[in-house]
Amino acid sequence: MKNKKRNQKNTSNAVFKFLTFFASSLTIVIIISMIISLFYQSIPAIQKFGFVDFIFTREWSFNKDIYGAFRPLAGTILTSIGALLLAIPIALGIAIFITEICPAFLRNIISSAIELLAAIPSIIYGMWGLFTLAPLIEGTVQKAVSSTIGLLPVIGPMFQSEYAGGVSIFTASIVLSIMVVPFIAAIARDTFTQTPDILKESAYGLGATKWEVVRYIVLPYSKTGVQSGIIIAAGRALGETMAIAYVIGNRHGPLNSIFDPYTTITSVLANEFNEAVGTQLSTLFLLAFILFIANFITLAIAKIYSRRGLSNEL
Amino acid sequence: MKTEHEIVLETKDLNFYYGKKLAVKNITMQFPKNMVIALIGPSGCGKTTLLRCFNRMHDLYKGTKYEGEVLFNNENILSKETDATQLREQIGMVFQKPTPFPMSISENIAYGLSLKGIKNKTEQKDRIEKALKEAALWDEVHDRLDKNANGLSGGQQQRLVIARALAVEPSVILFDEPTSALDPISTSKIEELISELKSTVSIIIVTHNMQQAARISDKTAFLYLGELIEYNITDKIFTTPDNELTERYVTGRFG
Ligand SMILES: Nc1ncnc2c1ncn2[C@@H]1O[C@H](COP(=O)(O)OP(=O)(O)OP(=O)(O)O)[C@@H](O)[C@H]1O
Ligand SMILES: [Mg+2]
Repeated sequence: MKNKKRNQKNTSNAVFKFLTFFASSLTIVIIISMIISLFYQSIPAIQKFGFVDFIFTREWSFNKDIYGAFRPLAGTILTSIGALLLAIPIALGIAIFITEICPAFLRNIISSAIELLAAIPSIIYGMWGLFTLAPLIEGTVQKAVSSTIGLLPVIGPMFQSEYAGGVSIFTASIVLSIMVVPFIAAIARDTFTQTPDILKESAYGLGATKWEVVRYIVLPYSKTGVQSGIIIAAGRALGETMAIAYVIGNRHGPLNSIFDPYTTITSVLANEFNEAVGTQLSTLFLLAFILFIANFITLAIAKIYSRRGLSNEL
Repeated sequence: MKTEHEIVLETKDLNFYYGKKLAVKNITMQFPKNMVIALIGPSGCGKTTLLRCFNRMHDLYKGTKYEGEVLFNNENILSKETDATQLREQIGMVFQKPTPFPMSISENIAYGLSLKGIKNKTEQKDRIEKALKEAALWDEVHDRLDKNANGLSGGQQQRLVIARALAVEPSVILFDEPTSALDPISTSKIEELISELKSTVSIIIVTHNMQQAARISDKTAFLYLGELIEYNITDKIFTTPDNELTERYVTGRFG
């Protein structure tokens, strides 16, 4: 009798173990199969252009059937860096405001608004970016900057553009930054609130002001958390597709100004994948493969950071 | 019988509320300069609450309210005009758990100095050494000042925190059960330290340890349910207290 019960327990335990093991191995199998198929489809392009040459080729021509990753890759990196430069201070400001300054009733409202920002589908950011933000930027920021900084010698041309419409690297960075702010802000808020009260009280007890406590206690204490939040946001920015495809302008030409339209890996994929055949198709797979690797690396860095953070605290 | 002592801190009809809850009731008492004053009493009687009125630590939290007066150098620090930041430079605090900041040993002390406006590196260095010596920690850490303070033992961390408080040269230091998380050896080091420090600062210490109060304090206050029951010379409190509650508490026949 007793034995029977135990056996039943053992069987259900084994089934449970198997199911969880199966589910977790499945994710790994899916990832590996994705890498393999991306790589397999890229082989013709790698054979034709060579991996290193491909990365440094600027050309993107259907007529000559020559494709290079340089511009889309540069566009991806530039928009992501631009987005992070804008998003980090704003997100940290929001997190500091929520945790240290704002009254309790506002805290929930702002937190919910930020969560909502993260939940908006990216195509909606794209539509809003194209129809509202891009013209707005063109009429205000771009106009103001190009008629001031834009007149300076040497660096001036970097702030002038002959293209109309407001779609540009700059606009894309702004849209992207709005999209990644919630990630950084949410993680920063969580790590800020984990700063022990007693540590903050000790600093107040020495005569620190609120700002000095934030600057020298809360921020250093949350450093690793905030860093991994930033890296996760970077991964998100690198891979963002639909919003960028709308506001980047999709132009395979030389980039002279932050207000020039340009291209990114994801926007190339979104725009050309449907009609691509032959070398072009294989090239798109190679771009996707490169993006996949880039994302993988950022995630790995984030993991190493948070692990190092843990062992530092011990 | 006893020479008149200068008063550094004084409460007059002090009440303190957490929301509607009255946690400190109508306390009037005087803290003489350069003495160690112990606050004792059963858990929840309001020792910590009273202590935290003296550097207005309660200001950090919503819904707290003071009534009455706390005079520090004859000025009411509960008045709106008092700058709590400046007050806390003069009234330091050491907590139950050691609270080193997430930075190096020397930076921990330099932090307080910078807050006070002492930013000159050589002056900081001198002050760091002086504070660590005063806190009897210098010999143990002088060769690893730039190592993270979290690497120190609990007792060393607590002495670092004391050094950090001393470095800004306060006139009063508040201790809230500073040794309750420490081993006996670290505890006796800190007790020794406190006894030495009273030549330069006035000390108010909350403790659950009767022997500790008896060993290091000059005067002892017994609190019960937020009220000051008895306040007198430590010897008197522990040998011939006036109040029966006090006697029962100090002899361990309480509750
Ligand atoms: N943040 C708070 N909000 C509401 N009530 C509080 C708060 N902190 C303390 N109290 C209450 O105030 C009273 C006094 O608490 P306090 O912490 O000052 O006691 P204590 O004498 O320091 O006790 P212990 O010896 O356990 O540290 C207790 O009844 C406690 O429950
Ligand atoms: Mg207490």
